[in-house]
Amino acid sequence: MDFITSLFPWITNGPLVLVQVMSGLSVGMFLFLVSVGMSLIFGVTRIVNLAHGSFYMVSAYLMVTLIEVMPEHPVSFWIALLLAPVGVGILGGVIEVTLLRRIYRRDPMMQLILTFGLILVIGTLVLLVWGPDNKSVPRPDALAGSVRIFGQPFPSYYLLVLGLSPLVAVGLWLLFYRTRWGMLVRAATVDREMLGALGVDVSKLYTEVFVFGSWLAGLGGALAAPTVAVALGMDGDVLINAFVVVVIGGLGSFAGSLISALLVGELQSFGILIFPAVSIVLLFAIMAVVLIVRPWGLLGHPEE
Amino acid sequence: MGRRTAVWGIALAAALALPLVLSTFFIVLLIEIAVVALFATAFNLLMGFGGMVSFGHAAYFALGAYAAALLAQKAGWPMLAALAAAPLVAALGAFVFGFFIVRLTHTYFAMLSLAFGQIVYTVIFKWTSLTGGDNGLLNVWPPTFLRSQTAYYYFTLLIIGTSFLGLYAIVNSPFGYALKAIRENPRRARFIGVNVRRHQLYAFVLSGFFSGIAGGVFAFHNGSVFPDFAFFTKSFEPLVVVLLGGVQSFYGPLAGAFGFKLLEWLISKWAPIYWPLFLGAIVIAVVVLLPQGFVGLLERRAWRPRPTIAK
Amino acid sequence: MRIDRRTAIAGTILLSVSLALGAPLAPTRAQGKPIRIGEINSYSGVATVFTFPYKEGLAMATKEINDAGGVLGRPLEFIHRDDKLKPDEAVKAARELVLQEKVDFLAGCITSAVGLAISAYAKDAKVLYFATHCQTSRLTWDEGHRYVAHTTNNVNQYARVVAKKAAAFPYKKWAHISPDYEYGQNLWEEFWAYLKHLKPDVQVVQQNWPKLGETDHSSYITALLQSGAEAFFSGLWGAQEIAFVKQARPFALVEKVHYFTPAIGTPDELDPLGKEAPVGAITTTFPWYDEGVLKRHPKFTEWNKKYTEWAKAHGMKDPQPKLGASWGYASAYIIAEAIKRAKSTDTDKVIAVLSEGFEMEFPWGKVIMRGCDQQAIAPQFGGVVKMGKEGKPIVADIEEFHGKDIVKSCDEVAKLRAAAAEKKK
Repeated sequence: MDFITSLFPWITNGPLVLVQVMSGLSVGMFLFLVSVGMSLIFGVTRIVNLAHGSFYMVSAYLMVTLIEVMPEHPVSFWIALLLAPVGVGILGGVIEVTLLRRIYRRDPMMQLILTFGLILVIGTLVLLVWGPDNKSVPRPDALAGSVRIFGQPFPSYYLLVLGLSPLVAVGLWLLFYRTRWGMLVRAATVDREMLGALGVDVSKLYTEVFVFGSWLAGLGGALAAPTVAVALGMDGDVLINAFVVVVIGGLGSFAGSLISALLVGELQSFGILIFPAVSIVLLFAIMAVVLIVRPWGLLGHPEE
Repeated sequence: MGRRTAVWGIALAAALALPLVLSTFFIVLLIEIAVVALFATAFNLLMGFGGMVSFGHAAYFALGAYAAALLAQKAGWPMLAALAAAPLVAALGAFVFGFFIVRLTHTYFAMLSLAFGQIVYTVIFKWTSLTGGDNGLLNVWPPTFLRSQTAYYYFTLLIIGTSFLGLYAIVNSPFGYALKAIRENPRRARFIGVNVRRHQLYAFVLSGFFSGIAGGVFAFHNGSVFPDFAFFTKSFEPLVVVLLGGVQSFYGPLAGAFGFKLLEWLISKWAPIYWPLFLGAIVIAVVVLLPQGFVGLLERRAWRPRPTIAK
Repeated sequence: MRIDRRTAIAGTILLSVSLALGAPLAPTRAQGKPIRIGEINSYSGVATVFTFPYKEGLAMATKEINDAGGVLGRPLEFIHRDDKLKPDEAVKAARELVLQEKVDFLAGCITSAVGLAISAYAKDAKVLYFATHCQTSRLTWDEGHRYVAHTTNNVNQYARVVAKKAAAFPYKKWAHISPDYEYGQNLWEEFWAYLKHLKPDVQVVQQNWPKLGETDHSSYITALLQSGAEAFFSGLWGAQEIAFVKQARPFALVEKVHYFTPAIGTPDELDPLGKEAPVGAITTTFPWYDEGVLKRHPKFTEWNKKYTEWAKAHGMKDPQPKLGASWGYASAYIIAEAIKRAKSTDTDKVIAVLSEGFEMEFPWGKVIMRGCDQQAIAPQFGGVVKMGKEGKPIVADIEEFHGKDIVKSCDEVAKLRAAAAEKKK
């Protein structure tokens, strides 16, 4: 034990460990919000949507604009939080109908390349519309400070995220397991052809799922905007994290994404303390280990 | 047969004569195209013929490039010896990682290869004392007799041409046919006695081997190597090239490399600031409008549908 | 064998098309035509916040120079290429600019890795390269050679400004947070070595090395709070530092541990933060708004006005003066001056001028192009972050330094180069 405490002096500091756990949880919740949409889109349409990070970025920029144009009032932030993801959902819908729909019958890799092209196009359009300057969304005043948890300060805004994300998770669960639409979505992840043969309008379902997935990416971006700089390049950062979470959790698995996001959040949070020198490689090392031990991710299904 | 020999003869003669008529810049561009073409063809051995998509193939390109650069610069090996070691190191890496990767299928195969690729990237990025970290290794030049671009072009032509012949022979060997059988139907291949995993691992190692050659040749051409060689965006390069060129043909990656590299150069020249908008739009247009890539543009034959790569 | 033939035809067609497209654009420049400078920088993605104002500053100076009759009677022309923040792309672009565009000189760079890569290419190709935007000191020091000149600040100068400011405080226990790559390490080493030199009793109690581009810093913030340090140094920059400051705010980190950072004071970072700015932080800045500085440098006000008009006319969303704009502006003039003094675009003659060194006056002060290392020694402005009018943060109590009073001497540079050469053997 002495050996451990000498290596990791923080470990005996109970409140610090607790705050670290909570901070890992909030990181995980952000990751969950971003990755669950990607996972959903993959599960139903089999598209690895590389533009998911771009949707996240667009939403953060929409937050900037919405807060700028609205009068300075505590409610403005919440209205922006509501509207920005909707804008991104519409963007996703337009892209699905005009581009992706044309190539569903083709090699799935073609769809991947198409979304790769979208990253380039969306990134440049954001640069053209919003300019190159860094932007920032201020936290609403009520959530700007911190609360004390066993004497340790913890940002109030993260409490919002910690509170909101489970609501989203429960909402998603109800949607998938308690509605007809959710049943169709789950059926589509198992056997799309059969669903079509049974007379379901699969094409419409794809559009709806893509819009919904984009909306989720937008929600993640809008919620994250006040905690980071809204800047070009935030698309790539989030994409790779979302990717890892989706794969560890199991592609197409909603619960898998949740568990894996929390796991990755905690591991990153403690990884920095335990292995500061290699925390950069940790994410992919975990992904590799999970895939070797459990090739289809924590809660995914074997293919075929 | 006569016609085929004639076509190849003309192609070879043209390749040999090009430096006489082209400016130095186009010779440089041709070297880069050749490197990308070999990297993409090695990648296509997995994707087009083996039905396995790797998202981390930049790792083997980078292993080859870094092996060549490190051996030449830090160990003082002669260039040819360092270059010869490049594919071996890449193949060794491909064997170690491939051992785990080929146990997986489809999307998960791609994901695990991505994870290993990123691990290679971070190790190169972090191991500053050996690899120079983000600054890379500079001044990795070939010996004097290969320093001129024309000389290096012929050298590249020799190495990469030989590699192409090797890859062609592999694709048309019994091993290549077994690989195609596995792609079409792994279960049936197993029934007729093909050891599926072992064949896939061999294909993975061979693909890594040839990617390593591309990396090594590029290191001495560029005069420097950087961690970006292993980054996942670099892994998308062969994928884009193969898909734009045409996945179903052995020559697709070659056509794709020509098309993609020329496109990249022209766009960077005409739109140095907003190039991603144009490149992205063209990539999207090609994907939507040309189902069979550039090769398909020239080939009017009805497309024979192949089973999808990832279900 | 239809595919074979068709592929061969495809290749031939593509090559011919590219030749046909490329040929009319290939330069057939005679004497008296523009002096062409190939300029490589990051014009897409995360670095555009710096490179766009820089490019406008460069363009404005070029216009001024050309309107005044050009250089040696020839107009100056910059041909831009995007390095995508990747050194290998930069080398590729450099080669294309030299071989195909037949440029007379190379310029540009924003990251250290890109600058060093272009510099290595320039040395080998014997083309003169003006590093205009990146800041690593290795460029002209450890890895310096005659074919590279650095027209802007290096890390050493502004790290030492912050260290000098830091030495005036009674703090002994220090921590730091720096991005884990060459620039971050270089910056921290330069800062710490100088602070230790000025104040030998300081000690490092804790170090943080987040990865470049890390988006969540909570764990580092907690660690800094627990470290027992009285002050900390940050080598973060750009979007990452903004995120760090925002995330540190609920913990009141900046109020508890004094914050020293070269980057946060630049308008690129301070303006977006608004009321969330880290008041009290000691930093460097580009003080275009500071009354004291404007009084001491009478031409500065006029320049600000001119740049703002220029930036507006050229579609910049935020037209106010930026540090990058001043660097682009100064770089164009320094390049023009070197050619003017050489009375030729001949590489060796321009290098001869650079190796003798010269001085130039700019609206914000004197820039010395030092001969021994072909390194620009520039004015520096240090100050403290305060809240200005209408919730707009500024850097106040500005103290002017000149690089010449703090930068490493020619003797020290010679030693660095000798040590680097020894290491390579």
